[in-house]
Parts: sequence; C-alpha cells; structure tokens
Amino acid sequence: MGAYLARRLAASVMTAALASMVIFLLVRSVPGDVVGQMLGQTSDPVAARALREFFGLDQPVWRQYLGWIARAVSFDFGVSWARGQPVAAMIGAALGVTLELALATLAVATLVGVPLGVVAAIHEGRAIDRAVQGFNLLGLAAPVFWIGLMLLVGVSGVFGWSPPLVYAPLSRSVGENLSMMALPVFSLALLQAAAYSQFVRQSVVSALGQDYVRTAVAKGVPTRVVFFKHVLRNVAIPLLTFMGLILIQILGGAVIIESLFSLPGLGRLLLSSIEARDYPVLQAGLLVVVTLAMLVNLLVDLLYHVIDPRVRLR
Amino acid sequence: MILSEFLGLLDRRRVLALGGMAAAAALVRPAQAADLYGPKAADAKTGGTLNVGTLVEPPGLDPFHQAADARIRITVLLYQGLFYESPDGQALPLLAESVELSPDHLAYTIRLRDGVKFHTGQPMTSKDVAYSYNYIRDPRNGSPGAGDFAMIRSIEAVDERTVRIAIVAPNASLPMTLGNKYGGVVPAGYFDAPDAKTRINQASVGTGPFMLGEFKPNSNITLERNPHYWEQGVPALDRINFIFTPNAASLLVGLRNKRVDLANLSRPQDIKQVEGVAGVVVERSPSFNQKSIDLGLEMKPLDDERVRRAIALAVDKEEIMRASIGGLGKTIGTMVAGMQDSWGAPLAALPNQKPDVEAAKKLLAEAGHANGFDLTLTTIIGYDWMDAAAVTLREQLVRVGVRLNIQRIELGVWIKNFQSKQMGFTFNDWGTAPDPNLLFYRHFHKAPEGADFRNWANDEASRLLDEGRAESDPAKRKEIYGRFQTALAQSVPTIMLFSADLIVVRNERVRNYVQHPTGWYYGLARTWLA
Repeated sequence: MGAYLARRLAASVMTAALASMVIFLLVRSVPGDVVGQMLGQTSDPVAARALREFFGLDQPVWRQYLGWIARAVSFDFGVSWARGQPVAAMIGAALGVTLELALATLAVATLVGVPLGVVAAIHEGRAIDRAVQGFNLLGLAAPVFWIGLMLLVGVSGVFGWSPPLVYAPLSRSVGENLSMMALPVFSLALLQAAAYSQFVRQSVVSALGQDYVRTAVAKGVPTRVVFFKHVLRNVAIPLLTFMGLILIQILGGAVIIESLFSLPGLGRLLLSSIEARDYPVLQAGLLVVVTLAMLVNLLVDLLYHVIDPRVRLR
Repeated sequence: MILSEFLGLLDRRRVLALGGMAAAAALVRPAQAADLYGPKAADAKTGGTLNVGTLVEPPGLDPFHQAADARIRITVLLYQGLFYESPDGQALPLLAESVELSPDHLAYTIRLRDGVKFHTGQPMTSKDVAYSYNYIRDPRNGSPGAGDFAMIRSIEAVDERTVRIAIVAPNASLPMTLGNKYGGVVPAGYFDAPDAKTRINQASVGTGPFMLGEFKPNSNITLERNPHYWEQGVPALDRINFIFTPNAASLLVGLRNKRVDLANLSRPQDIKQVEGVAGVVVERSPSFNQKSIDLGLEMKPLDDERVRRAIALAVDKEEIMRASIGGLGKTIGTMVAGMQDSWGAPLAALPNQKPDVEAAKKLLAEAGHANGFDLTLTTIIGYDWMDAAAVTLREQLVRVGVRLNIQRIELGVWIKNFQSKQMGFTFNDWGTAPDPNLLFYRHFHKAPEGADFRNWANDEASRLLDEGRAESDPAKRKEIYGRFQTALAQSVPTIMLFSADLIVVRNERVRNYVQHPTGWYYGLARTWLA
C-alpha cells in the first residue's frame, strides 16, 4: 500500500511537471497578451514595450517558464497581472466556491439518483420504473444552462424571489450561502441524478440476473443482505468511477452555471483570466485543475480497494 | 457661466488680444460646484448602499495602465484629474481652480483647489499633480494615456498650489486631456514602490468622492464614501456595490427582485424584460459612443477610394441600427450623437451618407469591379450588436455586388490586428471624451504624429487636424472640424453608423442619477437613496 502510494504520487508529480510545460505554452499560444488588453486599441508602442518588459514578456519563453516554475514549486504563484491580487488567494477563494458546488451536487445527485435507480430496477417494467426512466430521459436531455435559466426565471416569476448575487462563504452566513447555492446545485444535480439513476438501474438489473445472486438467494440468504452485500457492492465500483469523473468535470467546467448564478468559482476565474490574458492566474489555475483531477483519480483507485479487497493496488 | 456669456458679446479677436486670462476663460468655464458630475440635489438623504449591476467586469482598477472602458466607468469615482469633462463639451476645473494661458498659448498656469486630501488623508499639493502627469506622459511608464500627453513639454510645481504646464504647440484640448480618462492625481512617488501597480487594485490613492473598499474578482467591487472629500455635503451614498453578473438573465431577475438598484443595459431584448415592471424606471440618453465600420486601407481593394465610397453608398445605417439595437439609438454622420450639436458637421451637407445602389455600382465598375468582389468582415465575439448588423450589412452589400464573408474573432485577437494596423474590413465600437481633437487626432492623423490605424495617410485631413488642435476660438475650431469631417465622409476610411443610447434601468428609490454621455458613472457622486 505504502509503496503503491509513493509510486502513484511520484507519477503524479511527473505528470504535473509535464502538464505545467504544456499549460505554459498553451496559454501563450492564444494570440494577444495582457499588455494588448490593458492598453486597448489606441495603445502606444513605447508604452506597450515598457509594460511587456515589466511583466517579463520580452524574455525568451524558456526563461519565463523557469522563473515561473522555480517559484511555483515553493507555492509562490505570484500576483495576478490584471487584478493585482495574489494568485494563490484568488484561486483558493474560487476553488472554495467550486468545491462546495461540486460536493453539494455530488451529494444531492447520489441521494436522489441511487435510490431512484434501485427502486426502478426492483420494479423493472412496472409503472414506477417507467416514471423513473422518464425522469432520467428528461434530466439527461435538458441542457444544464436551460434548466438553470428556467429555474431562475421560474422561481422569480412564481415567488418574486431570486438568489443573492454576491457570494457569502458558509463561514460568514449559512443562510446567504445556501440561498445562493440552492438553485445552481439543483440545476447541476438534476443531470447527474438522472445519469446515476440510469446507471444504477442498469447495473442492478443485470446483477440481479447473475449466478452469484441466484446462488445466494437459493442458499436462503435474506433478501436485504443479498441486496446490500452482493448487488450494491458490485454496482459501487463502476459508480465510483463515474462519480470521480463528474467531480473532475464540475471542478474545471461549471463555468456556465457559475456565470448564470454569478458564482465566483474556478471556471469563471479561468474564463475571465483567458480574456485578460492573465497568465499567472491561468497557469496556476489550470495546474490546480490538473492536480485535483489526478488526486480524485487516485482517491477513486484507493476506494476500489476498500470496497472490494480483491482489487489489488499494484 | 456669466463670464462666458459676457465674452460672447465681445469680438473674439479682441478678447484674444486682451491676453491669456481671457482666452483661457473662453476654453475653460469657471466651475460652479453644481456642474461637476451632475446637478446637486437639494433634498438628498444621506446614507445607504446602492447595488449597481453590471455585465462587464473591469479587468483591473489601475487608471494609469488599464485602458478598458469598464475600468474608467468605475475609477472616475475614485480618481480625479485637473478638469471634468462636462457633457456639453467644456472642461470644467475639478482639482484645478483657475487657469491662466500665456499670450503665446504655450504655457498654462493652473491654480489648484485648496483643501483637497487623498484617500490616505494626506493633503494634495502641486508636487503630486506634477508627479502624476509627468508619470503618465512618459511612455516608458507604460500608460495608454501617454500618447494623449505627447504635446506636453514640461510640468512643474511653481508653489504649493500652482503648477505650470508648457506645451510644444498651441493645443485647445489640453484642459480636456487633463480629465479623468487616464491617470488622475495620486501622491508623488506612488509608483516608486515595486508593488504599486498591483497594490492599486486593493487600495485607492485618489482624491475622488469614493474610495475602494473591496475588489473581489468575478464577484463585486465595493466603494466607500471618502471621509476626506473636498466637496461639501456629497456624496450622499455610504457605499456603492458594483455586482458583476456576466449573464443578462440574472441581472434582469435581480432588477425585478430589488437585488440590483441600478444597471446600464444595451440589448433591446433585455430592456423589454424590465419595461413596465412596478417600481422600475427606464431612462434613455444620447451617448458619445459610436458603432462603425472601419476600412483598413492595407487591404485590397479598400485602398481604392471609389471602392470605399461605393461601400458607403450601399450602407443603410437606419436599417442596420434597427436590426442590431432595435432602434434604441441615433444614426450619425461623422460625429457621435452626444456631440453632434457642439461639433458635428451638418448631416445634410456630408457626402456618401444616403444609400444609392446605382451610384455605388457605377463607382465599382469604374474601379474595375463591375462583377463585384469578395470581402471579409471581422466582428468581435461578445459584441451582440455586431452579429445582427453583420447579417444586415451582407444583405445590403450584395445589392452592389460585394459578397461578404463574416468572420467572428475574439477581442484579444481583434485588438492585436487593430494595433498592428491590420484591421481590414471590420466593425468597431468605441467612445470618446467630448472634444473633437481627442476624438479624431490619434485615429486619423497620419503617422508618426497620429497612429492612423486605418492606414489612411491623408495629408489634407492631417493638416486640418493640426489646425483644429491649435485653434482656440470655438467658432473657428468648429468650422475647421467641419471641413475635416467632410474630408472624412468623402474619402471613407470609416463609416460611422450610429450611437447607441445609454439606457439606465433603476429602482424608483434611486434618486438624482444623471447618466454622463461617456457611459461613466460620474452621476453616482450625486445620487441618493429615498
């Protein structure tokens, strides 16, 4: 286990190092730079040169990279070129919002989607199954931004209420925070719940037909035990993979929902930093997303082993 | 006001002969406190937080190095220059108190207002003024305003409350240049600190009616009332909270549910959503903004004047305006709507303004394009009006045989093309301070004095721009810029289409907000909450 972890972490560090290079080149491959953005359309060439010098953009790319990575390994990500604030603090704040969004979505989707899928599978072919399948179809087919928009406009139309527009962290005000988070979480969770439910239903239906289940039932094992010990445990592994993927997806890509509900999350921070060509924020932000993705994957692999000890960590 | 009326009775020549003081007074009206930022309310209540919703977030809050209009709109409340850009086109003394112009029109002696303090609490002196303007005009300091200040030879502090500004050639728009778009007066030596350029985004160091509270990227900016502010009794608001809502739907819902008190909207479909909502007021006013078609002469066959004129004759501005902003604006000739009365050439006298398909076809045939040609139009992603305008323009141009391809590009790429004078055939969207020299010179004077982004290189127009800049008599100045505008309309390096109205949507408890035609938030210094 220890050796496995060490090996995986070492590989992750290698991947992150490689990713940092790719990211560094990628953000610079977009035409235009921060100076063009700052000076606007009527800029003066002398002023532009002076600012490029100030930001070090006149240096060769490899030297810029070495300078950046040398500081980054000691977690010094510098200061945002456009907003003048420490990059680490900006990313930390945005990550907090997005993590809350992602974890809440995951929780709601699991609590709704898994029971729905199980219920549908047990009642396969009956009315309740068809109702769940209808919900799944709707959730999977409706685009997230449309659901969000309909919720926003609908809730406002019916109740004359809309969520706050300035984010307050949980630590400052639980009420404010939850009233801002409720609609975006619900918008994202609808799709995920439908996906889980569909997935769990399929897996349970196929597991119920397996030999080991028939054997267990024939041996006289109580239904409840068969279900939780044999069926659900086997469904859990692919579901876990699925959840890991969803988590990663929300961490880096909830920009549409974040924009719609004015949430200052990571997706929006990255998007606005692309627009401003704010390389320090962009580089660090993308690196954080890559690192988180690797960590989530590692965590999922470790959990496989916990759920099913036959899965050997090698 | 009284002084300028008095001057109006005298023969201009004699006034100029009287010497510097009188001539300067003709350029700069003595300020009455009520004129700055908008009318002062007699019955204003003090206190409260105003929530302003905005779709566009400023990329930063540095008035010395950041040119974005979203930045200027907010920082005019934090920083002040020597003069204020009055909507009627005059420069009113702001941090200045009075101005004296030397007989040769090359030196301005400016007396500074007494009792002005920075947000830090320290008093403002002539040293701070000289430092701030010397910093911005040195291009090595990297300010987008440097080009506007190239006319200044020196700025020196004469005594505690007096600065003298020497210029290289007579320039009637110097006071307007010392306005609030770029820079502003900050404590001497501010930028000596290596972290000053970034610190300015977290703490303001100006003299404006508000000071920066908090800047949370992708969320909001709060401004707090400046306790040291030099004007008595203003501002009325304790705090302004600028909320960034990148999506129009959440802004509109916020306006309906009173989470947002005031917002500027531009898309007609958005305005329809809040019209008639109880407690919400919608107001329209003319702007200094222009939506235009630019014709870069580096691109063939746009280097042929006949081709450019043909394109102008194919364009129906009214139709494009209706299609793109639902008619919520005013079509223009060669001057933005808010300045037409003060500086515009009479529309009826300008060539190439009305659609004339036959004349356009004839010009194209003369230029050797009887069968038309293919042309690529660039539009900017995120500028909604351009998408509808592009489709309409394609319909119009095809009538004269020009086949338009529409290419949508990202703003950063567009700016790069523009700066490197490779703009081609493109839509543009820009604004100005209320002075014809500041509007035209950098854009249309040939290089190296101007930037001449469209590669127009027109000698006659450049000569007129030089003349207009040097002339201090308003009537003569207007006549010179009239001739320049005729040259512009004749040769067509640009086709100014229309000025979109500024549309303010506010809760009815927001009182006394007067929208400035630049679109900047000056009026909030006079706003109060009922």
